[in-house]
Amino acid sequence: MGDLITTLMVCHFIASVCAAEIRNLRTATAFLLGQSLLLALIIVAFAEQSQNYSLYWWAGLTVLTKAVIIPGLLWWHIRRTNYMEVKPLVSFVVSFIVLAVFLIAFYQLVHTHVNFLAPTAAASAEPSRSALALAFTIFVLGLYVLVVHRDAVKIIIGLHLIENGVHLALVTLVPQLPVTTVLGIVSNVVVAAVMLLFLTESIYHAFGTADTMKLSTLKR
Amino acid sequence: MVVTINPTAVSILPFLVFIVPLCFGGLIFLLGRHGKFFRHGLALIGILATLAIAAVMTARVLDGEVLTWWNNNFYIDGLATLMELAASVMGVIVVVYSIFYFGEKTEREEAHPYTSMTSYYGQILVFLGLMNWTCATNNIIMLYVSLEFTTLATVFLVTFHWNKPALEAGYKYLLLVTVGVVFALLGSVLLYAAAIPYLPVSRILLLTELGTIATKIPTNIVLLAAAFLVVGFGTKAGLVPFHAWLPDAHAEAPAPVSALLSGIVIKVGAYALARTISVFAPHYGAIPLFVAILCSLSMVVGMLMALAQDDLKRMLAYSSVAQIAYVIEGLGMGTYLGIYAGLMHLVNHSIVKGLLFLAVGALIYSTGKRRISELAKVRFAMPVTAFAFFTGVFALSGMPPFNGFVSKFTLFLALGQSRLLWAAVVGIITSLFTLVCFFRAGSRIFWSDRQVPAVGAEAAAAREVPAGMWAGMVLLAVAAVVLGVFPQIMHPLLDSAAKCILRILIGG
Repeated sequence: MGDLITTLMVCHFIASVCAAEIRNLRTATAFLLGQSLLLALIIVAFAEQSQNYSLYWWAGLTVLTKAVIIPGLLWWHIRRTNYMEVKPLVSFVVSFIVLAVFLIAFYQLVHTHVNFLAPTAAASAEPSRSALALAFTIFVLGLYVLVVHRDAVKIIIGLHLIENGVHLALVTLVPQLPVTTVLGIVSNVVVAAVMLLFLTESIYHAFGTADTMKLSTLKR
Repeated sequence: MVVTINPTAVSILPFLVFIVPLCFGGLIFLLGRHGKFFRHGLALIGILATLAIAAVMTARVLDGEVLTWWNNNFYIDGLATLMELAASVMGVIVVVYSIFYFGEKTEREEAHPYTSMTSYYGQILVFLGLMNWTCATNNIIMLYVSLEFTTLATVFLVTFHWNKPALEAGYKYLLLVTVGVVFALLGSVLLYAAAIPYLPVSRILLLTELGTIATKIPTNIVLLAAAFLVVGFGTKAGLVPFHAWLPDAHAEAPAPVSALLSGIVIKVGAYALARTISVFAPHYGAIPLFVAILCSLSMVVGMLMALAQDDLKRMLAYSSVAQIAYVIEGLGMGTYLGIYAGLMHLVNHSIVKGLLFLAVGALIYSTGKRRISELAKVRFAMPVTAFAFFTGVFALSGMPPFNGFVSKFTLFLALGQSRLLWAAVVGIITSLFTLVCFFRAGSRIFWSDRQVPAVGAEAAAAREVPAGMWAGMVLLAVAAVVLGVFPQIMHPLLDSAAKCILRILIGG
């Protein structure tokens, strides 16, 4: 079971970096879908390992919202606009090297200092320890995407990386959360995604571009 | 100080206070397109019903009760009723003002297919319902959920005009606040995880249980979580350096919505901080200091940016950045006087900033202008608006005998008591510059006889706004004076609100 979870988490990480870095938005969305499915699988693995079967609800909601609704909406949006990303601020090669070095270092940092974040015995035991480190790494990756990328769709992908990171931290740290609360969180994410896409599309039509740097009608 | 444990009573009122406006919001979405009487009538009935429920709850809380519903998942104490009463009163004024503000043309043609008047009133009611839910919930994770929903409910109010600036403002508002508030979720999760060993039978971390765990969980977790919470809820409240969305959103929204955004929406962030940070602040000296530094920065930046604006609404928006810092500074101190001052300024700023945005809305309604350089000599044309604007300016900058003076003075006393005199000095200087900034703006608009290029005709034709619009302004202006002269009117509610945080601290 431990090996399986480790494999899933490595795949989750790779899918996240691909979703963040690949310039073709359709492929990036596909990787976002894969990333969310892997998140759901990690939750299922946790459920099996801790015999906490209420986590199945959680995994199901994750699949429905993060792997079906949101990638579907993104796909639908990309089909009608532009499928190549607006050039980001940092070139692909530089971004890839920076991310690889920085994220692995950050992962190691969190992994060694998990006690600082969550002082419970459950959190410092494997696989929770790795999951927590991964969650914070994905969170930071999402923030990086928001800062560096200019394309509106890429920014939505970045936002979802952030939210999936927090989701993983949530499921690792407080697996006993009631289903109603989980439902609240995921419905929140879906509504935010729908509204953001709707606004992105309106902006695309009004400004003729998906480049968020060009949104400068309002001066400072 | 004596802090008594109040009896709790199970009541359905905490549920009704948010489900009633939500239902009326839904009804408006369903029936609003059948005519403006449906929209206006349903909005008015819904908001008045909410106000009535909030008033009944306030009366019961002042009698010493605490209302709970659904196993303590909903919990109404002094702080919650204070917020809900303020939101409902502001809601009534904004709805009445809106009925007159949007002319026949907007009503008939509908500004844009996506933003009709139907959805306008619907969203205001839905927002008030969600706002009341945020104040009624007692679950730390649901606090994040409902707070984020209040953002989502107001995005299409910001983009109401559906032109380029409005879309840009709405996009920034939605994206930045959503990302920011996720930090608050992360902070809540860290607190929750650290609290699990100390939780009683219930599996949820209730806000009312924070007090019992405040001293038990490790210091580094508290400080880290507090930093995340301040970033998250601070983004919602518009503190510097997380304020980038605020001036755009508050300036591009229609004036009544700006009044709602500055008067109520940013206060939700302050409320969430009061529920979380204020509980930890008395035990950890670093939190008041961190909050004071951030808030002083916020005051200085907000005030300097306000000074540089020519657009009246952007000026007011930047001043909200400075004023919300007074509120959060007080709440972050963790002392009775600090929390009391913060809450008092929360109410006063709602009144005053609502008043100023409505007054600027009246100027826009009559002259079609919102830049200071394009307006002059409006005093004779719009005497009531001029009176309202200047009352707001003096109250905002904390001049006696207006309400802003009382709350700011209390805050400075509390800062002195906590040995943060430098922060009080920053606050006083900010207030003085606020007076300079807004008095200059007001005198140029209402008194100056200078020639304004190419806008003479409209300004000369400007007339006072309809009674439905100025009635709200006069009401708020009178409230600003009355609460300045007789601040004791608010004392029972503020006292109960401030004490309920301290009561949670001792494990009530």
